Amino acid sequence: MDTLTNNTDYEAGTAQGDLKIKIIGVGGAGTNAVAGLKLEHLGDVRLAAINTDAQALKQAPIVEKLVIGRSITRGLGAGGEVEIGRAAAESDRAAIANMIGDMDLIILVVGLGGGTGSAAACVVAEVAAKTDALVLAFATLPFSFEGARRKRIAEASIGELRQLVHGLIPLPNDVLLQEGDEDTSVLNAFAVADQWIGRGVNSLCAMLLKTGLINQDFGSLRSVFQDRGGKTIFGTGTATGGDYVKDALEELFICPLLHLGDRPAQLDRILVNVVCGADMGIAKVNDIMTQVSKRFGSREDIVFGAVIDESRSQSVELCILGKAEMDSFVAPEQEASAETAPKKTIITGLGLETEISQDTKTPRAVHRSKLTKKQLAEVDQDEFTFIDNDAQRGYFDKTDRNDYNDEDLDVPTFMRRGIKIRMK
Amino acid sequence: MSQSRVVAAVEIGTSKIAVLLGEIVGDSGLNIIGHCVGSSRGVKKGEITDLDKASDCVHAAILQAEENAQTRVDEVYLAQTGRHLIGNFNVGGSSISSSDGIVRRADIDAAKEDAKRRTLPRDRTYIHHIQNPFSLDGRPVDNPLSKEGRQLQVGYWSVHGDSESVSDSLRVIRGIDLDVSDMIISSIASGAVLLEESEKENGALVIDIGGGTTDYVLYRKGYIVKTGVVPVGGDHITNDLSIGLRVARKSAEEFKLKNGRAYYMSEDRDEKVWLIGDFTIGDRQYPLAAITRIVEARVFEIFDIIKEQLEVAELFDPSDIASGVVLTGGSARLTGIAEAAHRRFGLEARVSEGPQDVAEELRAPEYSTSLGLLHYALTGQEENQQQAPPTGLLRRLTGLFN
Repeated sequence: MDTLTNNTDYEAGTAQGDLKIKIIGVGGAGTNAVAGLKLEHLGDVRLAAINTDAQALKQAPIVEKLVIGRSITRGLGAGGEVEIGRAAAESDRAAIANMIGDMDLIILVVGLGGGTGSAAACVVAEVAAKTDALVLAFATLPFSFEGARRKRIAEASIGELRQLVHGLIPLPNDVLLQEGDEDTSVLNAFAVADQWIGRGVNSLCAMLLKTGLINQDFGSLRSVFQDRGGKTIFGTGTATGGDYVKDALEELFICPLLHLGDRPAQLDRILVNVVCGADMGIAKVNDIMTQVSKRFGSREDIVFGAVIDESRSQSVELCILGKAEMDSFVAPEQEASAETAPKKTIITGLGLETEISQDTKTPRAVHRSKLTKKQLAEVDQDEFTFIDNDAQRGYFDKTDRNDYNDEDLDVPTFMRRGIKIRMK
Repeated sequence: MSQSRVVAAVEIGTSKIAVLLGEIVGDSGLNIIGHCVGSSRGVKKGEITDLDKASDCVHAAILQAEENAQTRVDEVYLAQTGRHLIGNFNVGGSSISSSDGIVRRADIDAAKEDAKRRTLPRDRTYIHHIQNPFSLDGRPVDNPLSKEGRQLQVGYWSVHGDSESVSDSLRVIRGIDLDVSDMIISSIASGAVLLEESEKENGALVIDIGGGTTDYVLYRKGYIVKTGVVPVGGDHITNDLSIGLRVARKSAEEFKLKNGRAYYMSEDRDEKVWLIGDFTIGDRQYPLAAITRIVEARVFEIFDIIKEQLEVAELFDPSDIASGVVLTGGSARLTGIAEAAHRRFGLEARVSEGPQDVAEELRAPEYSTSLGLLHYALTGQEENQQQAPPTGLLRRLTGLFN
């Protein structure tokens, strides 16, 4: 598998064949997020939206729209009821299948906690899973102060979704609030989540469709997300002007979605994409790669991509998408002795020197004792229980929930109270 | 010499193991002959999560204390904490049986039995039955014996724990071939040595903020009327800082100790603090306001939870807590903690300076629970000798763990 290609004349679309990408917003929040996407010169990425609320859908500036469950809700929305959301989606499975069609990559965008998004997204994911498409999902999680009910709905939904898609990127609103501009209030904090989804989707699509210094093909994305389930971790860092490479790296490293309290997340398979202006030299790209691989020390695969965005200059955007298998969360202390995929330094035509694994399809451990399997199952279940707190419990990640009045006391108080901590 | 026995008071905390060795001579003499504070592993939020690791740490600490004192431990008094501990207030009563209406011992025993007979599910174990005042025909009396009346009532604050968690901690001690003579919940142990009798009488709230839990005990009119465990402690403050500032746990801990304050002040906005502070390359500045806001949110929440629990039990009456809030535990070292408690409870609040009748090195908050255990090892013995224990505090756990 060629993870590094040095063909700088590589043109969008052509060598990739006709890569078919569709971004589907599900429910009110999902639709809004997709409608707000500013896809930067990405050509043929199709946008679609699915909702129970016909009125809301009508106003969305999206070409492909589908109202589901008209017979049940008369187009009036699910009113926060998951049962209604699910029934609506079930009743229109055929139409959903039709919309999903024959795609290579499907990106679902959904806000969890309400009726339509939480339930219908699972049905859409289920339908999509039956196709050959690679399915990724960005799911925002409700603020703690939105109440325990929405939170429970979101938890249930994310547990189900995780089993259905290849990669699920949870975006807890509690965490994202901390990331907004200086005066982000809770009112426009919802827009912050949309911005994050925008950055993620843009970076992904840019990587697949744009001319690259180091091109990634769809196959390498697929190789990162070959299995369903597991933890997907996502983070970005961006900077303009000055020492923008250093600043962007710094921002990436403190990205809250990548930080699980105790230490930066250790990812098993990771995809790093750099979007930069034409003025950025290969030496800087190389510098980024060295630092990122040092930081997120992946045991197996690190797949790098670098694309040029003509509209940028003196600026760079870094995006990390990683997949961590659950076993790396079982017993980190035993990991050192575990098998490590042979790494080899590959010197490419561009003079890039970076460590990547010999074969991105190296099978995972073949021999596994029954005990390990049992542990795996247990952890899976654990993860299910506090699924929405992946990035919020830190040190207490593996302990029982600390429930008090429907809140988990292990999650930092300032996050649950929506207290914004200014870092500057 | 045959009259002396060596008691080890052991507190298996989330961040440290505190062991005190006391030599009890004869009836009433107690000498503290050895002590050791060791680091703790395998304990989170006050509960043992890894039996092997916890055992190793506890054994090491006890052995070290034995070596310091050049003696062997005869028995162990063990502190209990963790969210699994639950308290209930149970009232029992009896009708005075004699025709002259004079309360006899049998009536008192019957009322006590009645209050304590509430059975627990099989997975729960009683740790304490703490007696509250008697009332005779609705009038509170300290000692109803020989008084006249028709109906005798008595209340107990009963604390029970998850049998599994309790036996895990016993197993740790058994692991070095020692027997646990009694278990006392941490809050009661700390309260016993930190408060003067007059403070208990006036009413006081003792809050022991440890690494993984916050234990509290409320005294009213000399009696323990409520205890509780909030499974949140200093570890949570550190974790909040680590997540909020996005620094490693170790750095977060340093910030907490060096710059942490239990409440935020507007002056903090303009202040910056260094992570390392010695001009090391890669050192970064952080706004002090970020640190104090994170800490304040957590500390206020801990106090608010306690206040809410007291309010729900209809026990939060400032006039009955005249001696105010007394803070102890490792996290009581946090700057401004008393001020924060004062703001949230609206009561006088102070950080305990430790019991004044022990050596200075034992007045540190780390030892208050263990000192309380020794106190009970001593007074428990006194009570056994008198037929009627003055406060009837501790009933020996029997049967279950033999």
